[in-house]
Amino acid sequence: MEAIIQYLLTGLSVGSVYAMVGLGFYVMWSAAKAVNFNFGDIFMLGAVLAVVLLDLGAPLLLAAPAAVLAAAMVAAAIERGFVRPFNREANAIGWMLTTIAVGTMLESATTALFSSNPRALPSPLAEHPIRLGGAGIYPQELLLPVALVAVAFGLEFFYRRTLTGRAMRAVAYNRVAAGLVGIDADRITLLAFFIAGLLGALAGLLIGPVIQASSTMGAVIGLKGFLVAIIAGIANARGVLVCGVLYGVAEKFIEGYLSTAARDAIGFTLMVLLLLLFPQGLFGKAEFKKV
Amino acid sequence: MSAPDRPSGSEGVNRPRQDQALLAVAGLRVSYGRIEAVRGVDLEVGAGEFVGLIGSNGAGKTSLMRAISGVLKPAAGQVRFDGAETTGLASHRMVARGLAMVPEGRMVFADQSVRDNLLLGSFTQLRRDPAGAVAEQDRVLALFPRLRERLDQEAGTLSGGEQQMLAIARGLLSRPRLLVIDELSLGLAPLVLDMLFPVLSELNRQGLSILLVEQMASYALAVTHRTYVMENGRVLFDGPSAELANDPRVMDAYLGRRAS
Repeated sequence: MEAIIQYLLTGLSVGSVYAMVGLGFYVMWSAAKAVNFNFGDIFMLGAVLAVVLLDLGAPLLLAAPAAVLAAAMVAAAIERGFVRPFNREANAIGWMLTTIAVGTMLESATTALFSSNPRALPSPLAEHPIRLGGAGIYPQELLLPVALVAVAFGLEFFYRRTLTGRAMRAVAYNRVAAGLVGIDADRITLLAFFIAGLLGALAGLLIGPVIQASSTMGAVIGLKGFLVAIIAGIANARGVLVCGVLYGVAEKFIEGYLSTAARDAIGFTLMVLLLLLFPQGLFGKAEFKKV
Repeated sequence: MSAPDRPSGSEGVNRPRQDQALLAVAGLRVSYGRIEAVRGVDLEVGAGEFVGLIGSNGAGKTSLMRAISGVLKPAAGQVRFDGAETTGLASHRMVARGLAMVPEGRMVFADQSVRDNLLLGSFTQLRRDPAGAVAEQDRVLALFPRLRERLDQEAGTLSGGEQQMLAIARGLLSRPRLLVIDELSLGLAPLVLDMLFPVLSELNRQGLSILLVEQMASYALAVTHRTYVMENGRVLFDGPSAELANDPRVMDAYLGRRAS
């Protein structure tokens, strides 16, 4: 019983990370019909930049938001420099190559400048585990589902209640029509990548104290976030959220009952099978076509 | 119907220059790869004019409209709007300058409510003049009472005619000086058209310049002042709509086949 609660809690925590990264993919995809394939690097920068700022003597309460903001700006810069110029034609795929290239460069540069070893990201919430129904967990880990709920409500409010959010949905639905009501679709897309960057970097910052900050921390998590988004059906935010959390929980149960080594092998196999059964994603439907 | 006061901000002492057209297109060419859809078109719309553009399917009408409104960049030629060169300017900039287009196929934001579609129509105005934008919403809804009844409905659930009303309303909300309408009648019942065309005539009487692209030549010739006839990417001829309606070239090619 204790073990089950333990797997559920840590699964919920890591699943929230996948869900937040997956939501980042959702935000990028819906606006641009393209994504930053190495989005895991934005996740990584959220944690690494926080460590760097702490090194420089900044207090945690300043370093944390500054790191997220800076990482989101990098995400926006990647859209401007490596997605937009390679996403001009209807079925362009150049952005796949260019975002992987710039991501790899970012990762190498971080290894060279920051450290090739993982470094601790100190947080007062990751010092002493608390007991919950016999399971031990850091309060820091519980922050993630809380942050996920906040992010979900924040996105919902943005997309449905603000003019800019409605404009982003308009761009997602029909870029030409959006332009014809006076919306600068390029600017909205830039903003979408910035918002996605905020989500990814926030996830990295919050999980950083638990898994440590390193230049490579984002690689696999970025991939899993992408898979979760695809499995859910990338155009469905709620689906992405649910799939992300479920995948995190499933991982912890596989880890617990089988082994850590089996986790990714079984997890990815599961994903492939699901995609075979649901080519549009679990919650996806064929995207609207022009009437 | 109350007369909407058109935006007066830019109408200074220097304008209107009577001889100068609101929209002037010269030698415009549009290509898709090696295929040339528009092959050197000259076209003008004067301030306050209601101009039609007719021609069969594939004549290049939509490509021409898309190049004028900034949806695509022309391969060659010039577009001047309101006295300034606007060739190749993106559509959101054209909207800001006062040229709005109701696109072929209407393209309402089907996943958003009618209310939000209208709000997006006011996108440029809400930043410039929020109070004026709200007043304009009321004026436009007075033109299309059906939309007021469906404000909270998703736009995708509207009938074709209602979607066309919404698309026109959305275009009007940017407070354009020139409204371009691409294929008003597409897929709509005659009953709906009998309701929509008078609204356009009324808007024109109130001072709005309109460029109407229409496959249903009889309708276009009945409401517009002047009409261009386009075929194979070129303008064949143009003239007063009343005269063209009796022109044998038009009757043979467009009226005989289409009208009733």
